[in-house]
Amino acid sequence: MTDFTYLKRLFQAYYQEKQNEIPPISSFNLREFGFIPWEKKVFMKRHMKFESPQELKDYILRDTPRHLYSSGALYLLPDAREMENKQFLGCDLIIDIDVDHFYTPCKEKHDLWICKECGNEGSGMPDKCPKCKQSKFTKIAWVCDECLNIAKNEIKKLIHDFLIPDFGINEKDMKIAFSGHRGYHLKVESEELRQLSSDERREIVDYLTGDNISFDLLGLTERSNEISGLLIENLGWSQKIMNKVEEILSKPKIEIKEMLLDENQFGLKQNLVTSFLNYKDDFLELISKGERNVWAIEGFGLTTWKKFLKVIAKQVGVELDEPVSIDIHRLIRYPSSLHGKTGFKVQEISLDQLDGFNPLDESNERLDPIVFLSKKNLTQKLEIIENKIPVTKIKGVKFGPYEKGDKIEVPHHIAVFLLCKEVAKTI
Amino acid sequence: MNNEVIGALSISNELVNRYPWLPSLKKYYAELGEKPPSEFISDIFANPESVQITKRVFKIFEAAFNNLEEIPDYSVDRLNVYVYLLLKIILYALNNKLITNRAANLYSKNAYSDIEKENDDFNLYNICQDLKLRIKYFPEPEKYGIKIIKDHKEIRKTRFTIYYIDYLKLASNLRDEYRKLTNNAMKDGYVYVQDKTLIRLIQEYVRNKLLIEETDDKASLKSFLRDISNIQGFKDLYDKILSLWSKRKEEFDFTFKIDIKSKEDMLVLYPPCIIEVLKKAEEGQNLVHHERLYIVWFLLALEYPVENVVNIFSTLPDFDREKTTYQVEYAKRKNYTPYQCSSLKSLGLCMAEKYKDQLCIEGYGSVDPTEKKQLKHPLSYVRIKKYREEYLKDRSKKEMEDIKNQND
Repeated sequence: MTDFTYLKRLFQAYYQEKQNEIPPISSFNLREFGFIPWEKKVFMKRHMKFESPQELKDYILRDTPRHLYSSGALYLLPDAREMENKQFLGCDLIIDIDVDHFYTPCKEKHDLWICKECGNEGSGMPDKCPKCKQSKFTKIAWVCDECLNIAKNEIKKLIHDFLIPDFGINEKDMKIAFSGHRGYHLKVESEELRQLSSDERREIVDYLTGDNISFDLLGLTERSNEISGLLIENLGWSQKIMNKVEEILSKPKIEIKEMLLDENQFGLKQNLVTSFLNYKDDFLELISKGERNVWAIEGFGLTTWKKFLKVIAKQVGVELDEPVSIDIHRLIRYPSSLHGKTGFKVQEISLDQLDGFNPLDESNERLDPIVFLSKKNLTQKLEIIENKIPVTKIKGVKFGPYEKGDKIEVPHHIAVFLLCKEVAKTI
Repeated sequence: MNNEVIGALSISNELVNRYPWLPSLKKYYAELGEKPPSEFISDIFANPESVQITKRVFKIFEAAFNNLEEIPDYSVDRLNVYVYLLLKIILYALNNKLITNRAANLYSKNAYSDIEKENDDFNLYNICQDLKLRIKYFPEPEKYGIKIIKDHKEIRKTRFTIYYIDYLKLASNLRDEYRKLTNNAMKDGYVYVQDKTLIRLIQEYVRNKLLIEETDDKASLKSFLRDISNIQGFKDLYDKILSLWSKRKEEFDFTFKIDIKSKEDMLVLYPPCIIEVLKKAEEGQNLVHHERLYIVWFLLALEYPVENVVNIFSTLPDFDREKTTYQVEYAKRKNYTPYQCSSLKSLGLCMAEKYKDQLCIEGYGSVDPTEKKQLKHPLSYVRIKKYREEYLKDRSKKEMEDIKNQND
C-alpha cells in the first residue's frame, strides 16, 4: 500500500466517523464543488454540484479526496463547465489570511529554500537568491505557533479594526475558519455584499490593506518648503495611521531606533533615525494636540515621509491574499474537511472562540484541528526523504529537526503530518 | 393621478420634470410607461409641442458633438420629460456607442450642474431616496475631521453619509484617486460625503441610465426603425442627427486612425492594457486619470510625436486641445516612465485576463512553462513582440534563402 493510499484510508475513516459534524454551508445546492484527488498528476475536479449535504457526504466517503472545496459564489447551474454558463447569482466576500503571503520573523527558523539555479540554500523568505540573484526556489513551508498567532492577530485586526467599525458588518454574517495549514479564512455572507463586482471588491481590499492609499489626499503636502502631515482627527485611514504613529512614538527610544533601522520594517539610515529620535517628544505632542500639522524633522523630505507612512500603513492594514477576495469564482476549503498537506481539520470558530483558539495545541476537543491524535499513543516509523526538515511542535511537543535518511518513530498525528507534507515515507 | 400615491411621495411633480431620470417618473407619468415606444413617438409628433421637443433633443446632440459641458437653453418644464424619453429612444435607434457615450456624458454633466445650482439639501435628500441610495442626513452637520491651512483650523463636516455599497456601485467606475474608499472617511458602513461628491455620484447614476448597450439583435432594431420611420417628424430628426454626426464622425475617425496607424501599425505590438485604453478612447468613453497618464507616458516612451498623442484624446467628451497639448508636452519634458505591470494591476488597469493574452499570462523566455519569466513592464511587451516579429521574419527569410540555395 502506498503512503497516499494509506492517507486516503485515514481520511476516509475520519469522514466516516465525523460525517454528522460536517456542516452544510448556506445555499448548498447553488454552490460549485471542487476536489483534488490523491492520485498524482490528476488535477482538480471542479464544476460539480450536490443537491444535498448527504449527497456530498456519500461522495466523500466513496471517493475520498485529498482536498475539498466549495465556491464562494452561488450559481443557478453550478455544474456548468464554462463560467459564463453557470448563471452567476452572487458571491460571498472571502478574505484569506495566509502566512505564505507575508513575512513573519519565525520563517527565518522554519521556512527552508534551495535555489533552483545555483543550489544555494538557506532559511526565511527571500525574493531572490542572495548568491545568484535568481528567484526560483524549492521551498519547504512549515507551520508554528508563532506564525499562526500572527495570522490570528491579522484576522482579529480585520474584524475589530475594519469590518465592524468601518464597514458596519454584523458579527452574525461572518464565518471564521482555521484553514488547516498556515492561516484563516473569513467569509461574509450577506445578500448585498454578494452583488459586488470584482472592481468593487478591489476597492474593499484596498481599504483593508491600505494599498494604493494617497498620502497627498490624506494631507501630506509640501508648500514653501514646509511639510504638512496627516491629522489624527481625520476619520478613516488618516486616523488609523496617526494612531499607529502615536503608538510607536510612545515606545522607548531604543525600541523605536531598532524598528526604524530594521530593513524588514522602515530601513531608515542612521542619520535620519537620530534626527527622528531627537524630535520624538515634540512630534508626539504635536500629534496629540492637533493644533498644528507641520512635520519638521531634519533630513525628512516628502519622499522620506512617504516611505515612512507606507510602512505604517502596511502595519495598520491587513495582510490578506488579495486575488482571493477579488476573484468571484474562487473555491475555498469546505468547513470540517481535511487539509491534504497537513491532515489538519478546517475548523470553524466563532468570534468569541477566536481569542483562545490555538490550532496546534487546542484544549477544546470540538475545536481541535489535530484530528489524528492517537489516544492510545500509537507511534509510526518513518524515513525522512527531504534534505532538511525543521522542528515540528504540535500539542506542545517538539519533533525534529530531521535530515534526509533519518529513520524516526513518531506519534501517529506527527506521522500523518509528515506524510501529508510529503517529506517522509513509511518504513 | 392618484392623490393617495402623490401624498405618499416625497418627490414632487416639478422635481420629476426637472430630473426625468428619477424612478418616480413612472408614478407621475404612468401612462407614458404603458405605451410601446412607437406609439409614444407617434403621439409626440402628432402634438403641436413636437416642434419644441424636437428642437430641444437636437440641441442635446449638437452640444454633445461639439464637446460642450452643458446643454444650452436647458428648460426644466413638463416637456423635459418628453425630451428625456425621446433622447433615450433615439439613442437606442442610433445604436452607436460613440454617440451614446457623448450624449450620456453631456446629459449627466448637465444634471450635475442643475442639482448643484439648486443648492437644496431637501431636494438632494429626496433624489437620493428616490434612487434608493441609502444615505443618512444630519440636520446638524456631522464632524469627521479637521483641516489646517497655515495656522487656520477648519472643521470638516457634512450633512450626508452614504452606505458604502451604494457608494462603491457608483464610485468604483470613476476610479479617481480621491473617490477611492481608502482616501475617504467611513464609519459604521457609511462614507462621509460632501454635497458635491453626492451629486457627482448621482451624475454617474444618470450617465449609466443613458448608457444603453449596443444591441446585437439587429433584426428587432431594424423592424423598430421601420415602424418609426413612417413618422415623418421622427425621421426628419433622426436623419438630421445622423447627418450632423457623419460630419463630426469623419473628424473623429480620421484623427484616431491616423494616430494609431502611424509607426508601422504598432497596435499588434501593444499589450492589452494599452489596447483597452485606446479602445475606450475610440469609443469616446471617459478615461480616468490613471488611464490618461498611462497612455501618454506609454506613447511618449515609444517616441510618438506630441501631436499624435494629443489627437488620441480628441474623441473624449472633455477634450480641450490647448490643455491637453500643454499636459502632454509637460509629460514629455519630465520623461515619466509608464506604470509597470504591478502598478497596473493595483490600479485595475491590467487587462491580461480580460484579453487572455498569452504573453502577459504565461510569460516569455522558454518553451518550458516552469522556466518562463513573467513580464514586469508593458514596454517589455512591445520589445518582446517586436523581437519575435523580427525573429520570425529573419527565420522565414533564411528558410527562403535555404530553399533557394538548395534549388541552386
